[in-house]
Amino acid sequence: MNRQTIYLSFVLVAGMAVTVLVARSIDARRPPPDPNAIDESLYLNPNTARRVSLGFNGLVADWYWMRSLQYVGRKIVNTPEDVPIDSLQQLNLKLLAPLLDTATTLDPDFADPYEYAAVVLPAVDVDAAIRILRKGIDTTPSAWRLYHHLGYIHWQQKDYAAASEMYRRGSEIPGSPQWMSAMVAKMAAEGGSRNTAREIYKRMQDESADEKVKDMAQRRLMQLDSLDHRDILRKLMTEYKTRVGQCPTTWKEILPVLRSLRIPVDQSGAPLDPTHVPYQLRAGACEADLDSKSEVLRQ
Amino acid sequence: MQSRVDTIAAITQSNTQTNNSQGSLWRISAIARNTFREAVRDRVLYNLVLFVLLLTAAAIFIGELSGGQERKIIVDLGLSAMLLFGVFIAIFVGVGLVYKEIERRTIYAIFSKPVGRGEFLVGKYLGLCLTLLVNVIVMGLGVSLALLYVKKGWDPLILTIWPAVLMIYMELMLITAFALLFSSFSSPALSALLTFCIFIIGHFSADLKSLASSLGSTSARLLFGALYYLLPNLSNYSFITPAAHGRAPSAAFVFSTGLYAVVYIAVILAAATLVFSRRNFK
Repeated sequence: MNRQTIYLSFVLVAGMAVTVLVARSIDARRPPPDPNAIDESLYLNPNTARRVSLGFNGLVADWYWMRSLQYVGRKIVNTPEDVPIDSLQQLNLKLLAPLLDTATTLDPDFADPYEYAAVVLPAVDVDAAIRILRKGIDTTPSAWRLYHHLGYIHWQQKDYAAASEMYRRGSEIPGSPQWMSAMVAKMAAEGGSRNTAREIYKRMQDESADEKVKDMAQRRLMQLDSLDHRDILRKLMTEYKTRVGQCPTTWKEILPVLRSLRIPVDQSGAPLDPTHVPYQLRAGACEADLDSKSEVLRQ
Repeated sequence: MQSRVDTIAAITQSNTQTNNSQGSLWRISAIARNTFREAVRDRVLYNLVLFVLLLTAAAIFIGELSGGQERKIIVDLGLSAMLLFGVFIAIFVGVGLVYKEIERRTIYAIFSKPVGRGEFLVGKYLGLCLTLLVNVIVMGLGVSLALLYVKKGWDPLILTIWPAVLMIYMELMLITAFALLFSSFSSPALSALLTFCIFIIGHFSADLKSLASSLGSTSARLLFGALYYLLPNLSNYSFITPAAHGRAPSAAFVFSTGLYAVVYIAVILAAATLVFSRRNFK
């Protein structure tokens, strides 16, 4: 090995080491990122993006889709409390609608952005969510899932007639599942009931390919189960009060009835919510409340 | 250099072995074989193919950021990379096909044999098309393997991507023909630029039709209508996005686009031969 090789090798190793040290120092001095920086508007509108993507529109749609996921994910990570993805209104997701609109304009058959528009977007901009779903239906009228998603948005807005109409149109598409027809009558007759809500979230849990949507549907189903549990507990306590003259002060007082109804209880006899956390007895009020540790959704 | 010597030797052999009608095909085939051999020896080509395969492998990891859309990302990224790098290969190898022969003066030795200008260009063209065919098959196999890996078994998308691969190949054949046409009368840099412009315009040409129909003036409508039919419509070959959703083009559509490509390529190669015949190599 000659002298020049040794010198150059030394410069290589020492230079890299110094570069690492300087980079670390720059990182330590870097000002915190501007929280509004990621909310700058998009440079391209959806139709321009489609035109300039040449033959790569599918790939560009993927990029916009991943950008939407990262955008929402980053906002959720920066939020201290746990929020379900269908209640993100406090996160100021103003870029979400244009991102999803662009992804679906570039690739009208891309199913996931429509589902995201139906589940996440209504809390932020319900008009944009409806517009994106309608655009999808205009482009691919044979996709029954889009009617299901749009029906879900109308149901959330308590517009049960519009929701029923969407399920009716979706149920007429060849290949649509039987439950779409069942939802038509259910929406029209008892749109605001827990049964309808349970049916919608159950279908969402079964049909969705997105783990986050499945998780949201599961949490909503647990919330519905918990509401049913609390109704039963309230009824039992009211009956107890009728018999004894006062509300129970401990769960043990109605434990035999809880066991006879096969309601799961812990070692102390307290009934358990769907996340296996005991309900709290509100003494004197004949009410069962969720424990502060419970993961059941409150809203 | 060795391949050029091989070309001349092969042409000489074909001339001694065959009569005139068969001889033309033999000479074209000899030039094509040697163009393929020359391209296969080029390291840049291997690097480009390797890069596409690496991108396809990267798509497996990028797909994890897509909320359960790994397979779509693999197909979109893999086939888009195949098209983009295929266009690079078609342009940068295509524009050098004729130029290198002129620069190294081997073209004088070739044309001292009874080889027609058209035979030379068609042979060069077919040689590069054969190289591109091998490349797209390797890249397509890479995408299929990535799908197998992600699905942990058979995936129906593996079958539906191949019609899209065929469409990409047809688009590359058209681009190669343009590269050869431009290289027959201009420098490699200008030829590359012009061919790349054709690639871009070709994807916008469908807009010319809608523009023509929306214009009030008859002359403007005729002009844009004529431009639409004169320029290649490469958006006919964009089947990557439907392939990612498991949709394949109909056989009739593939046949029509294939016929369009064959006729268009014949026209471009005829134009290239006309231009090239006027150049003096004596």
